[in-house]
Amino acid sequence: MPSLVIDQLTHVYPNGVKALNGISLTIPNGLYGLLGPNGAGKSTLMRDIATLQAPTSGSICFDDIDVVADPQKLRRTLGYLPQDFGVYPRVSAYDMLEHMAVLKGLADGKARRETVERLLNQTNLWNVRKKALASFSGGMRQRFGIAQALIGDPSLIIVDEPTAGLDPEERLRFLNLLAEIGENVVVILSTHIVEDVSDLCPRMAIIAEGRIVREGEPAALIAGLKGRIWTKALSRDELTACRAAHQVISTRLFAGKTVVNVLSDTDPGEGFTQAAGGLEDVYFSSLSPARQAA
Amino acid sequence: MFGKIAWFEFRYQTRQVVFWVAVVIFALLAFGSVASDNVRIGATDNVHKNAPFVIGATTLIFAELYMFVVAALVANVIVRDEETGFGGIIRSTRISKADYLYGRFLGAFGAALVGFLAVPFGLWLGASAWWIDHETLGPFVLFHYAWAYLVLGAPVVFLTAALFFTVTTVTRSMMWTYVGVVVLFVAGQVMGVVLSRPGYEHIAALWEPFGAGAYGAAVRYWTPSERNTQVPAIAGDFLAHLLIWLSVAFGLLAAAYALFRFQASGSGRRSRRRAVALAESTDAAPPQAAPSSPRARPVFDARTARAQLWARTKLDAAQVFKSPAYFVLLGLAAAASVGNLWFSTEVGSYGGKIYPVTRVMVQALSGVFPFMTLIIATYYAGELVWREKERRTHEIIDATPAPDWTFVLPKTLAISIVTISTLLAGVVVSIVTQALRGYFDFQIGDYLVWWVIPTGIDLMLIAALAIFVQALVPHKFVGWAVMVVYLISTIVLSNIGFEDNLYQYGGGPATPVSDMNGLGHYWIGSYWFRLYWSGFALILLVLTYALWRRGTESRLRPRLRQLPRRLTGAAGAVLGLGIAVFVATGAWAFYNTHVLNPYRTSLGDDKWAADYERQFLRYESLPQPKIAKVKLDVQIWPHQTRVVARGVYLIQNRTAQPISQLHVRFVRDLEVNALAIPGARLVKDFGPYNYRIYALDRPMQPGEVLPMAFITTMQQQGFRNSGAMLRIMDNGAFVNEEDLRPHLGMDRSFLLQDRAKRRKYGLPEELRMPKLGAPGADQFNYIGHDADWVTADITVTTDADQIPVAPGYQVSQSVANGRRTVRFVTDSPILDFFSAQSARYAVSTVPYKGVNISVYYTPQHPWNVGRIQKAMQAGLDYYQANFSPYQFHQVRVLEFPAPQGSFAESFANTIPWSEGIFFIADNRDPERIDMVTYVGAHELGHQWWAHQLIGADEQGSTVLSETLAQYSAAMVMKHMYGPDMMRKFLKFELDSYLRARGCDVLAEQPLERVENQPYIHYRKGSLVMYRLQDEIGEDAVNRALRHLLHDYAFKGPPYPTSAELVKDLRAEAPADKQQLITDLFERITLYNVKASHGVARRRPDGRWDLTFTVDARKVYADGSGHETPTPMNETLDVGAFDVDPGDPGYNQSKVIAVQRVPIHSGVQTVTMVLSRAPKFAGVDPFAELIDRDAAAAITKVASQ
Repeated sequence: MPSLVIDQLTHVYPNGVKALNGISLTIPNGLYGLLGPNGAGKSTLMRDIATLQAPTSGSICFDDIDVVADPQKLRRTLGYLPQDFGVYPRVSAYDMLEHMAVLKGLADGKARRETVERLLNQTNLWNVRKKALASFSGGMRQRFGIAQALIGDPSLIIVDEPTAGLDPEERLRFLNLLAEIGENVVVILSTHIVEDVSDLCPRMAIIAEGRIVREGEPAALIAGLKGRIWTKALSRDELTACRAAHQVISTRLFAGKTVVNVLSDTDPGEGFTQAAGGLEDVYFSSLSPARQAA
Repeated sequence: MFGKIAWFEFRYQTRQVVFWVAVVIFALLAFGSVASDNVRIGATDNVHKNAPFVIGATTLIFAELYMFVVAALVANVIVRDEETGFGGIIRSTRISKADYLYGRFLGAFGAALVGFLAVPFGLWLGASAWWIDHETLGPFVLFHYAWAYLVLGAPVVFLTAALFFTVTTVTRSMMWTYVGVVVLFVAGQVMGVVLSRPGYEHIAALWEPFGAGAYGAAVRYWTPSERNTQVPAIAGDFLAHLLIWLSVAFGLLAAAYALFRFQASGSGRRSRRRAVALAESTDAAPPQAAPSSPRARPVFDARTARAQLWARTKLDAAQVFKSPAYFVLLGLAAAASVGNLWFSTEVGSYGGKIYPVTRVMVQALSGVFPFMTLIIATYYAGELVWREKERRTHEIIDATPAPDWTFVLPKTLAISIVTISTLLAGVVVSIVTQALRGYFDFQIGDYLVWWVIPTGIDLMLIAALAIFVQALVPHKFVGWAVMVVYLISTIVLSNIGFEDNLYQYGGGPATPVSDMNGLGHYWIGSYWFRLYWSGFALILLVLTYALWRRGTESRLRPRLRQLPRRLTGAAGAVLGLGIAVFVATGAWAFYNTHVLNPYRTSLGDDKWAADYERQFLRYESLPQPKIAKVKLDVQIWPHQTRVVARGVYLIQNRTAQPISQLHVRFVRDLEVNALAIPGARLVKDFGPYNYRIYALDRPMQPGEVLPMAFITTMQQQGFRNSGAMLRIMDNGAFVNEEDLRPHLGMDRSFLLQDRAKRRKYGLPEELRMPKLGAPGADQFNYIGHDADWVTADITVTTDADQIPVAPGYQVSQSVANGRRTVRFVTDSPILDFFSAQSARYAVSTVPYKGVNISVYYTPQHPWNVGRIQKAMQAGLDYYQANFSPYQFHQVRVLEFPAPQGSFAESFANTIPWSEGIFFIADNRDPERIDMVTYVGAHELGHQWWAHQLIGADEQGSTVLSETLAQYSAAMVMKHMYGPDMMRKFLKFELDSYLRARGCDVLAEQPLERVENQPYIHYRKGSLVMYRLQDEIGEDAVNRALRHLLHDYAFKGPPYPTSAELVKDLRAEAPADKQQLITDLFERITLYNVKASHGVARRRPDGRWDLTFTVDARKVYADGSGHETPTPMNETLDVGAFDVDPGDPGYNQSKVIAVQRVPIHSGVQTVTMVLSRAPKFAGVDPFAELIDRDAAAAITKVASQ
């Protein structure tokens, strides 16, 4: 059973930004959600794992592969869908996928074409295979991205913010695709959308300010909040006072009123009612201490 | 609104990459055209590098090239809205069609115009470069730059902008614009050359679109002082040209408005195409995956490596080949070469034509094409190295397990493939040109070996450097900038004396190409250097691999830290191989270019010549003996590049005083193995100058004769850094006597000529000839001071499969040990001036009236052998009948390889003739001047005019040889083809003379005082002699020449001068032609004769009265072109014609009447009575006067 072990990973960019600050994680088989706001260090972590950059210190091991020392070895078993990627002009989806297949070590022409065609089918791109990638819509492009990541049946798959910018239907289709991927591989899904994780991932971590702030199974994490989430609808004027008095983890608008969720071990009174906590509350409650610290 | 659109567009265009790349390229080109000594556009020693003429000519050339930039800027202004789909948004605003179209156009045109400022800026910067000799510059005049930019450059930019804008806006296709660019460029080139022939100036001035014709016509006969200070008046044809083409441009813009459909969106061709594509692809059924089939697993072995290499190379190459920019650059390369290729068969100024043999094509290709290919290679090195990053594919590509070398190597290979394909495209263009020229001997192998392979390797070396640079730098523009600096450095380094190919990246000696000799052994040195630099390129490639940016890390420092680790294993082995090749071949190249051969630079050579002058010029007038008899044994080893000469002279003191010192001089690199003069003692050996001074134990008394024996070796061992020995080739040795043997006393043959260089080394600005009649000058002929007429006995030995030739009759021949030895002896005295040749010749001999006429030629070039022999026969007949008997009973014409020179030369009964000129003449068009006969008759004429009569070494010396040989050839041509063909010939002579006047580096001299100035002794000489024989009669001229020969043939000293010729001519000329002789020989005389108002009236008797007005003017010019009017009073031909004598349909039958009438200065009316109504009438119909506007001397006639 392969697993990815990250130990004390720190990444400092040349401009002094400390994007990762001593991260340690063990990621088992299956879909693993990495949740965090923009700028939390998700992409840095993804790129470090995907061998696109070397961390400043710390180690990444996948099975017996030391990723930092021997990136080439990891690449042989890696599928990577970056957060944002471009395409060559005047190249069709089929040709590009075949090209990627060669780069991933599928030298035999027949086997390679079979793989390419299977993946085009699987990602529902068969009908547009001859079209230039440059003319693809966002969803089509993301499906192409996952198709290329799946070439050669990698045992470590990294998908970085795959659902950003997709419409609900496209997003659903994409998540289904991810869910299909075998359970015998490590799949890291990085996202800032809570639903992506709650829908799919048996395990997850929340990253903020370059640190892991929560780690575990989503259900357990939600259970940890049981009875500690209180909610109330406020008018806009009351919000400031409420923030001062309580640990507000999220606010949202509902029917012209502001609904606040606060974290509290006891009933805060003042008309707060107990709410059933969701993963979203886990996420926001994990972030708020970090935000207050910053 | 309009202004805002224009301003937005302007800002958009000036932020484009292509804009700045273009600005930099054009600024550099302009800079280089001034700052480099190797490029001269219009400048001469007398015309400043920043003269208004130079600025104008350069601006025009760049304006024409700039159309490629204009196309890139202007063409997309409308089309990009279609492509981005932004058009709909724009059209839904309240913007009007005119605002939209013309606002956009104005903005883009403005950007193009601003970009073109790079040219005047570059020209100015070039003239400010610190290494430029300030004497070659005039004062800085802003007006000249502004004038050229506004009057010459801006209209071209406007015209091309309007054209390309209209084409793309109407067709909505960039492709058609690219096609249009290429078509226009080619058309411009072709028109430029077609219309540059004399007689087409007016048409060219009006209809050549870029203004080169108009400008050229306006300044064509300008003298240096005019070129330095003036710009042409915006009037006449020049103004007409501007108005015509500005109207065309505005017309095009109007057409764009009329034809552009503003509302057209949605129903356009584009969206239809898209719909079709989707429909097409959906009908294909997805394949049914067989669930049982095993899934492909990645394998990482050699097969995968090959597949990856191939896939990456294919992708990288396709990215270049599919990009529109590639086609623009390729089109530019092809277009710039098409003119060269097409007109490479037009040789000389007489309209002569040669066959487009492969060598000629390759030469024409070598001009612009490699430079453009270099631009392509450098540009795409940047594009390819940075492409993944720019296209943001780098994250998915770099996360694949493909090893780093599958990025570096394919990019290198892709650029190599692009380079080679581009060069092959050049070959295709050449072959098409050959076919269109009716020449079908396509030597594909020669194209490959002579051009594609060596040029390809050289360019790949530069591509490797470019890729390496791009891998290091943080941005591709920085990489390009570094490459531009590198390219400039190659020019600058050579200019400042750093010419060693060991440190000039990619450098190597040139490989001269010849049909006779192929590449000979010259390729060897250049390929050693190619191997040397390939070793270095391999090192660069490994470093590129080791420093490759993978992933998102782009800083250099971390990559440098990893370098040692990455250079282990296979990479280290390849690096080691590269270093080994680099070091080993470098050592070998160093041994060859610095030990076996001296390393020379042009700067060093200049300094040597300057030192030579300072050391030895003082001995110039030191009395020395003269060579009386020469016996020479010449051993030629053609394949070893070696000639050994063993010789014996008899030298005689022909002065009136004893001579106690002998000054013996050899060419710089001749090895002197032995030199023996009885009773002579070496006083000083100036080794580096190969100059020796001997003291005679007993001074040589007047009339005393001494023997002098020597052994010398002329050779090249191995290969040189540059300046390979060209005179000894595997097939085609052509060695001059001066390269082999000693001369006595100092002369000026090795000294610096260029005035700027002379100034630089502190020498007097110019070394002028002795004045006509200078005392003592007539004691020497101009061929050499150390001999008069000699007898020669020359034995030449060469390889047995070659034929050796030297002046003289063959008296013996023997073959032994694979060597052929032939002895040549002359009976009549000859000049001390000869050569030895050897090659595998085919020989054709025809006996003619006691003279054997032989042509020694390479079997590939049989075309003109018979014609040469006919020319010799005609010449022998005319010269023997009119001048004197031929002194030999043989004449031999021998072909020699083109790299040794493009000339024919006349030694005694021996005429070496370059394969590069009319040996390959194409005479299929009978309208063309028969250059073979002309050159042959000229060279045969030298057997009289040089080899019987030789001029004293003073002003006018070459009149007695070159001018009289021109006259002789003209008479042969006149009797063979009639005066009509002569008119054509004289027109070319007139035009060459008038054009060359403007470029003279000395002051122009009257013919009588010519100082070896070719345009005077050849071109003006022909005109003067032809007019003279027309005015005083051919017989009278020939009588004078017979008299001259009678007095001076085979005699001297004292040698005759041009004054003797003038004296003999005056003796034969009637009193009323004496002034004419003064004007022709002793003055620089120019005429300006205009005819107008031609009217013909029918007389009662059925005949016609013709009257026309003549306005005549005559001026004398001084050496720098300043003119003084002088009264004119001459008798000239006037005539009436059916066809203008300058037009193609003209011939003898179109002459109605020609008579001689007096013409004086000012306006006068000429009347003639004619048998039929004329269409044209005028003065000087045969173009014998030196008149800058000969066409104006003929006018149309109105019949009433």
